[in-house]
Amino acid sequence: MKSINHMTQGELGAFIQSQLRKQGIEVILAGGAAVAIYSNNMYVSKDLDLINIYGVNRRKIRDAMTEIGFYEEGRYFKHPVSPFFVEFPPGPLAIGAEPVKQVVEKKFSTGILKIISPTDCVKDRLAAYYHWSDQQALLQATLVAQQHKINIDEIRRWSLAEGKLVEFESIKDKLTSFHA
Amino acid sequence: MLLPLLGTENSERVLIFLLTRNEGYAREIAQFFDTNLYAIQRQLDKLEAGGILVSRTVGRTRLYQFNPRYPFLNELKQLLEKALSFYPEEVRQNLIMNRRRPRKRDKPL
Repeated sequence: MKSINHMTQGELGAFIQSQLRKQGIEVILAGGAAVAIYSNNMYVSKDLDLINIYGVNRRKIRDAMTEIGFYEEGRYFKHPVSPFFVEFPPGPLAIGAEPVKQVVEKKFSTGILKIISPTDCVKDRLAAYYHWSDQQALLQATLVAQQHKINIDEIRRWSLAEGKLVEFESIKDKLTSFHA
Repeated sequence: MLLPLLGTENSERVLIFLLTRNEGYAREIAQFFDTNLYAIQRQLDKLEAGGILVSRTVGRTRLYQFNPRYPFLNELKQLLEKALSFYPEEVRQNLIMNRRRPRKRDKPL
């Protein structure tokens, strides 16, 4: 097994998830790290948001993380030899008002990584764009859409449910122009 | 009203304040309810860590508001609206009827 200091973001996420799974703790990768992985690191993020989908007690997570060499600093966990820091945002795993129904499993040499799908990753970034007009978030959504086939009909349906159809229509070309 | 559910009175105060004012900072919430600043700050931190609130800084002030991406936001607001309807009329009016429109710096009262 690779040492932690040589692990990529995906490998580290898979490693942590595998270790937590042994303790019965199920977490799903989302947020900026998912963008980094799906954009092949065209977007760089040093944090790993592992969503604590079943609301496992913080102490139990801390014990499991301590076992693999991480220490707690505020709401983050850090490792002495890794540039990445890990956060466990509380669940539910949702994009906007809707629960995430499908989770992707990616196999790494360090374990299996459970991560939101590329389509949900785009929706997650668009949520930030829709609510805060965050142009960086829109760019991140575009980067993911460039690298992966996404379900644009699903994103349209979700945007409508969020009351953001006009906003979606104004940016959808940015998400689809590469695959035309 | 929601103390048995939320666990602390100050948690309800924070949520009710933000429901009616849309945004707020710790000191003004504490002053409005004439309560301890640190206790309000702690609730704001807790609610932000839980994804219910988000914050941004304006100058040296940290402003809080509901997280539009919180999946239970609509349901939470409905619950808070209901709770607010049971508040004394004076408190409700003081929460709702505050000046939000701009005022020029040198304008006389």
